[in-house]
Amino acid sequence: MIKYVLLTLGVGALAGYLSNNLGNKPIVSFISDYAFNISLLVLLFVMGASFGVDKESVAKIRRAGFRILIVPFAVALGSILGGLVGGLILGIDLVASAAVSAGYGWYTLAGPLIGQLFGTEWGALGFVANFLRELLTITAISFWVKLGKYAPIACGGATSMDTTLPIIVRYSGSEALITAFSSGFTLSMVAPFSIIAIASLK
Amino acid sequence: MLLYMLGLTAALVVGILVGLILRNRKRAGLDKVTFAVIIVLIFSLGFSIGSNNELLNALPRVGVSAIVITLLAIGFSVLFVRAAGKVVKLT
Repeated sequence: MIKYVLLTLGVGALAGYLSNNLGNKPIVSFISDYAFNISLLVLLFVMGASFGVDKESVAKIRRAGFRILIVPFAVALGSILGGLVGGLILGIDLVASAAVSAGYGWYTLAGPLIGQLFGTEWGALGFVANFLRELLTITAISFWVKLGKYAPIACGGATSMDTTLPIIVRYSGSEALITAFSSGFTLSMVAPFSIIAIASLK
Repeated sequence: MLLYMLGLTAALVVGILVGLILRNRKRAGLDKVTFAVIIVLIFSLGFSIGSNNELLNALPRVGVSAIVITLLAIGFSVLFVRAAGKVVKLT
């Protein structure tokens, strides 16, 4: 499965690059908006349905209940701490570095927002660092899942409600669906506020 | 953005309800359909990455710092989730 995903990702990136730079804007926005959103809606519906028919998964989530909400908070704290340690190692501004990692993988938010709060260069770093989080979640999923069922969810951050969700469910199982979605959802809600809150510390 | 998140949540909830209702019927072979849709999703994800010149231009410039920060953010997230999972006994 993962080799088809990687191949498709590569072919998609090449196709996107070519069509953007050969100047076909309508195709670019059609594929990156419509095809993306529609396939995501279909996937969530289908994954929801296969979760719903699976008695065992439903029972497991019922037992876990609201305890699954600890996952996004652990991810948020871990990410920000990772940003601080990274800033120390690289010898760069710690506040900005923490803000970069508080994008939790949502690069289309983190890039522009950090750019606005800290300047263009930091915006570029926020963009790339969070993009890499999504990319690494997808490409190294078979490694993350060895670190535990919840490790891919932790890795995916905010993206575990959309782009990385189908891959996570494939590897962690149907029962991970609700945990992954709610974690990604919570982190997406929290991301803009945590970036702004961290920026207010500088 | 809020509309997007609400749309996704609605699709998920409706899917779960349909699954719960269809629970006692035979499971349809949805795996192939899911796989095909995942491929469409990943292709459009790749497409939006490839067509994003801003991202591609920034990559070589800030790539190394980005990798360091991202790997640490992922590492601590995995560690904290494991620890939290043990504390609240998440199975």
